[in-house]
Amino acid sequence: MNAAACYFVNGMESETSAIARGLRRRDPDVLDRLIEQYQHRLLRYLVYLTSNRELAEDMFQETWIRVLERGHQYDPKYEFSTWLFSIARHLTVDYLRKKKPASLDGLLDEEEGVSLDPPVLRPSALELVAQQEQAERISAALVGIAAEYREAIVLRFQEGLALEEIAAVTGAPLGTVKSRLYRGLNALLPRLKGAQA
Amino acid sequence: MIRDPHQQARELIACGGQGLTDSQQTGLRAHLDGCALCRDYAAAAEQLVRSLRSVPVAANLALVRTTQMRVRLHAQQLRQRQERLWLIWMSCVLVGLSAAITTPFLWRGFQWLGEWARVSSPVWQVGFMVFWISPALVASLLFLARGIHLSDTNGTSRG
Repeated sequence: MNAAACYFVNGMESETSAIARGLRRRDPDVLDRLIEQYQHRLLRYLVYLTSNRELAEDMFQETWIRVLERGHQYDPKYEFSTWLFSIARHLTVDYLRKKKPASLDGLLDEEEGVSLDPPVLRPSALELVAQQEQAERISAALVGIAAEYREAIVLRFQEGLALEEIAAVTGAPLGTVKSRLYRGLNALLPRLKGAQA
Repeated sequence: MIRDPHQQARELIACGGQGLTDSQQTGLRAHLDGCALCRDYAAAAEQLVRSLRSVPVAANLALVRTTQMRVRLHAQQLRQRQERLWLIWMSCVLVGLSAAITTPFLWRGFQWLGEWARVSSPVWQVGFMVFWISPALVASLLFLARGIHLSDTNGTSRG
């Protein structure tokens, strides 16, 4: 390992160690900082996982409460985001199982009228409309594919998680993650092409 | 079984260029150089990834503040619960220690009282047992009453 890589790995380890120490102490300042740091990534993941903004916001809060309660279980050897996403996933899957045992796609039926709420944009009205349309098109295409494919795609391409990290979050073997990405991409491409045509 | 080279290439593209060995990367590049269809697929995948990253899904400030407040409140409750538990444990340890130290003296005291009052052994022994166990009984009754009171209060406030 070269010096730069070594520095990077050590830097990451010291950061995750500091997080782990803060979580063990249940330090509210550390938690405040983490909530702010991971707010968008976590919510984005939950929005696509549940296909429901309101539920995603509830799960967002519950995830941080669980992080507080189980903070001592966090292993600083791993990225904090991987642990965070896996907690969020467990909570959401448990909730959805209790609500409707069939699958995560159970919520798709309730999808109508749900918007993924792109945030207020500062540019011109025309740009705003164009961006909103694009976001809605992508969101609609995403919620139209199977939940496990959507999850793999979001974790890989939006959150930038490595394949091994996705496997850790979802609890699926690496081969399954690869196949979900491939199938998800194949399911998504024609939808977006169709929407753009 | 020989795998379809196009599917193989597309599976590698779908992984987003991560975790590919050198030979896989070389093979993929060679395949893309000679296959227009897979090149189009790769371009479409790249465009899709760019589009995905451009989707703005953001948490609003109210959600973040509410979450932080809930987390702080819960942390405080957990800390208080932990402190209470620590107090209970310490009380148990102290009571256990004091019981272990004082019981022999108490036993002798009751024996002396029994002899002084000229009562039979079972009588002063029952007296000792009642005296010994009564603090625990009183404490249990108090805790029970408090528990019933708390559950009634919670039930009323939820109802």
